[in-house]
Amino acid sequence: MAYALVLVRSASLNLEAFALATGTHPDLVRRLVALGILDADRDAAGELWFAASQVAIMGRVQRLRAGFGLNYAAVGLVTDLLDRIAVLEAALREARRPGR
Amino acid sequence: MPGGPRADRHDFYEILGVPRTATQDEIQQAYRKLARQHHPDVNKDPGAEDRFKEISEAYDVLSDPQTRRRYDAFGPDFRQVPEDVDPEAFQRSRARAGAAGAGQARGAGGAGGFGTGLGGDPGGIDIEDLLGGIFGGRAGRGWGPISGADQEAELELTVEEAFQGGHRSVTLERPDGRRTLDVRIPAGVTNGQRIRLAGQGGRGTEGAPNGDLYFVVRIAPHPRYRIDGRDLYVDLPLAPWEAALGTSVAVETPRGEMKVKVPPGTSTGKRLRLRHHGLPHPRGSAGHLYAEVKIVVPAKLTDEERRLFEQLATVSTFDPRRR
Repeated sequence: MAYALVLVRSASLNLEAFALATGTHPDLVRRLVALGILDADRDAAGELWFAASQVAIMGRVQRLRAGFGLNYAAVGLVTDLLDRIAVLEAALREARRPGR
Repeated sequence: MPGGPRADRHDFYEILGVPRTATQDEIQQAYRKLARQHHPDVNKDPGAEDRFKEISEAYDVLSDPQTRRRYDAFGPDFRQVPEDVDPEAFQRSRARAGAAGAGQARGAGGAGGFGTGLGGDPGGIDIEDLLGGIFGGRAGRGWGPISGADQEAELELTVEEAFQGGHRSVTLERPDGRRTLDVRIPAGVTNGQRIRLAGQGGRGTEGAPNGDLYFVVRIAPHPRYRIDGRDLYVDLPLAPWEAALGTSVAVETPRGEMKVKVPPGTSTGKRLRLRHHGLPHPRGSAGHLYAEVKIVVPAKLTDEERRLFEQLATVSTFDPRRR
């Protein structure tokens, strides 16, 4: 018996819900998706859907912008660099651990 | 803007690490450097967010020549002093009242020295952006609710704690006082693993959720156990005759003593595996415990031991260096 493959979006937010949850304007959210700073899925109707984890990412974008006066393209660069540093730091911790 | 209790305890110049005679450029330079170091998204230390807020608050006051002048004249309580109070009269009244701290305000290095030559915005920097440093704290900035940043701290555990799991009390310094958290350590936690405390990270503003606090586990060096993932290694010292003839010895494990059978003809470096006696795995099979054989000879031989070893040396044809 064959089943259709269905994308489960139980924990997803649409654009309006996401904008509401993060206290931002939907236009800004759309812009951040276009800049590749936020990840979103697009359904057949072209509507954007956001995983719940993107709410925290939006918080970081807002804090970096508020704290340093960065433009959004720079925020994208900074978040990418911070993520890369986090991966490197984790690898460094792993390499430094005692034992063999 | 709420005058935070932190601001009353610390001097804004000290917070930014600049002298009271610092120029606006020097203040801005100090602020930008410190802000980059302590921004909660750059610095995961749980104390960084409060430090960042302090720095922002200090900069907020000192970057505006008018508020800086008032701060210099009236000290940390400047927000309580009405706008039209004459600094000189204020100083005299404070001196009369014998209030402590008046000298500090007077020694502020010529409060009247500012105000001229500060009209321009140096380098075309967007002062509004810089002033937005205190998240959501400034009225009219319109940042809206911003969720708190995740924070990270190291948690050092003993091998025994990692083995058994349990609870550990961890105290964090916060501006609203010390906060003691009860951290549940899952049995079998390994080096580098992160324990998440939901909602215990940086504070969200205007009702936005707090970030999470992560404890990164580091297992402290142990006098007996070495650790690799979930596997434990322990030295097993043997006398030459035990190693040659085989024996059964007790090995200490985190669960207590275990008997290990040493087969005859065991040399240094051989690992005897005690299956699944390493660190437990919450969702899989536990690591192993390896007893590593190390042959140890007496530092001094008795006459009888010497005689027997010499006899053995004569009789034996064993050459450990034979290729």
